[in-house]
Amino acid sequence: MAGIIVALVIVLPWAGALAVWLARNKHARLQHALAVLFSVLTAIVSLVLFLFADTEPAIRIPLGKAFGDLTFVPDGLAVLLTAIAAVIGSLAVIFSVDYMHGDAQLGRYYFLVLFFIGAMTGLVLSGNLLFTFFFWEITALCSYGLISFYNDDPKAVAGGIKALIITQVGGVGLLAGTLIAFANLGSFQIADLLAKASALPAMALAWIAFSFLVAAAAKSAQFPFHTWLPDAMEAPTPVSALIHAATMVNAGIYLLARFYPAFEAVPGWRMSVLLVGLVSALIAAVSALIATDLKRALAYSTVSQLGYMVYAIGAEGVFASQFHLLSHAVFKALLFLAAGAVIHSVGTRDMRRMGALGRQMPFVRNVFIVGALALAGIPILNGFWSKELILEIGLEHSPLWAYALMLTGAGLTAFYTLRMVWLVFFGEEREPLHAHAAGLAMKVSLGILAAGTFITWLFFGGLNGLLASTLPIHELERETLLEVLTAILSAPATWFALLIVALGCGLFWLLGRKSALAQGGWLDPFVETSFGFESLNRWIVQVTYQVAERFSVTQTGELNWNILGIVSALLVVLVVLWLGA
Amino acid sequence: MIFTPLNIILFGVVGLLGVGLYGLLITRNLIKVVMVLQILIKAVILALVLAGKLSGHLGLGQSTAATVIVADTIVAVVGLALAVQVRRRFGTLDVPRISTLRG
Repeated sequence: MAGIIVALVIVLPWAGALAVWLARNKHARLQHALAVLFSVLTAIVSLVLFLFADTEPAIRIPLGKAFGDLTFVPDGLAVLLTAIAAVIGSLAVIFSVDYMHGDAQLGRYYFLVLFFIGAMTGLVLSGNLLFTFFFWEITALCSYGLISFYNDDPKAVAGGIKALIITQVGGVGLLAGTLIAFANLGSFQIADLLAKASALPAMALAWIAFSFLVAAAAKSAQFPFHTWLPDAMEAPTPVSALIHAATMVNAGIYLLARFYPAFEAVPGWRMSVLLVGLVSALIAAVSALIATDLKRALAYSTVSQLGYMVYAIGAEGVFASQFHLLSHAVFKALLFLAAGAVIHSVGTRDMRRMGALGRQMPFVRNVFIVGALALAGIPILNGFWSKELILEIGLEHSPLWAYALMLTGAGLTAFYTLRMVWLVFFGEEREPLHAHAAGLAMKVSLGILAAGTFITWLFFGGLNGLLASTLPIHELERETLLEVLTAILSAPATWFALLIVALGCGLFWLLGRKSALAQGGWLDPFVETSFGFESLNRWIVQVTYQVAERFSVTQTGELNWNILGIVSALLVVLVVLWLGA
Repeated sequence: MIFTPLNIILFGVVGLLGVGLYGLLITRNLIKVVMVLQILIKAVILALVLAGKLSGHLGLGQSTAATVIVADTIVAVVGLALAVQVRRRFGTLDVPRISTLRG
């Protein structure tokens, strides 16, 4: 039974992708209906999967010696991320019914979105590292296709290629780690790697650990690969909400959390994770302070919040990171979709041209404020509880200076969040933009996400129990909701953080309102070059291009040359066999 | 004893493979390409019969070989028919000149 559910949650979206593609672009209504039907079915199935959470593989398909068994393990971590991907995926698809209304290429759009949802659930459920890698690459491909969806816009194409190449660096890291693990263990099973990690040679384990850290940093847009995410904002907004805020960028966090018990003892690994998270959180928060593009500002804040999760893992808070991942997925999807409603309505992403839009679209304003307050960490929204949990763990398990810097980050978050809300919905009208109220499909998904922002923290106890019981090797602490609430509320760390958040809000109110649009500040050159790391990322992209162009010489398309290639490869294989024997 | 029946057949297989691959390497004429492909397939058929003998499944090897003979006849027929059509359409049998795959 569990096997069928697990198979369904991967196959259903893929079947939907095929159905939408077969429906042809002439039948737009049918395509909308099919996409919504299949994504909602997937979401329901993913919620049913919670009942079947287990430590043992639900599916095991033997694939011979070279690949090992293809297994799917619906443990707590996998089930949680599956549910996030499927539920937020379905809401993004529902939102798209209004947002993508009238687009000529709906088939391509929905195909990629549904294909992505299936790949994401496969990625977190897979118990075989090699297949985790395959699914990982499929998500990267879908992300590329959707960023470059408007392929007549050069910026969209450039952003897509940059995202593809930079996340590919992560793919190479994941593959390298996987192969090193296979060379030492003779198995691709994640369970084997976790169980036998301490028996591996220290050098090999360190290589695996740091390869996976590179993979996670590239995928989750962390320092020093954080520059692709803001450029990925050329994608249609529901895609930004789904892939670049709520799901795909979480794959890196998932990877770190999954292998935390194996790598925790590697010297320097935890500190490196902590630093990557810390630097990303701060750099991105500062960049968000002066961004003028609404989606870019949200993208920076995503990098920053992902930084909090990475920091939490570095500070031994695996569960706290996953809890914040859940909160963040819900409120950031809400923020992105609300921003999408605004952008769809006024036709620009530039916050300098917006202002006073709240009167024209009150519903969107209200849900955006809910999301923004959660992002800023205001009680009692979900972002407050999870961020406080991370900061509390940070105070206990990380150096004091790191904790202090993260606390500053929380203040910056409050500041830039308020600035966003103020620039878009309040203040004076800077340009006579004509806004219309959001459509019904938009309102449905925004309403559900706003409700989620109020309540997802109530699931703390259940999720904690589920993860603790199905991830025995992680040795998570068991706490009920009531215990953790009292712990948070009685901890001095919480009151510090609230004070800092209030300080951020107050500073904005006193200083930020007037200068929110100030240009040419001393921060600008830093943010424009991503504190110098833009050049590193650009260099990676350029080198990839150049190497590819050099290699294109070998593609002559002539029969004789191809045969020469085949024959020489055959000779190499023969020589290797001869030497090996 | 190097000239056992087994070795003779093995030399035959390797020799035919070598001739076929060398032919594919140097030839530009479409008809000749079909011919050297036939030589390659003959090597495979010989290898199949030999493998049947060595593994003890003599019948299996020979019936597979018979199947390959049928399939390879079709390949030859279609290949030659294509060559005739190509000669009529393009007026040449030179493979690189027919090829539209130009970098």
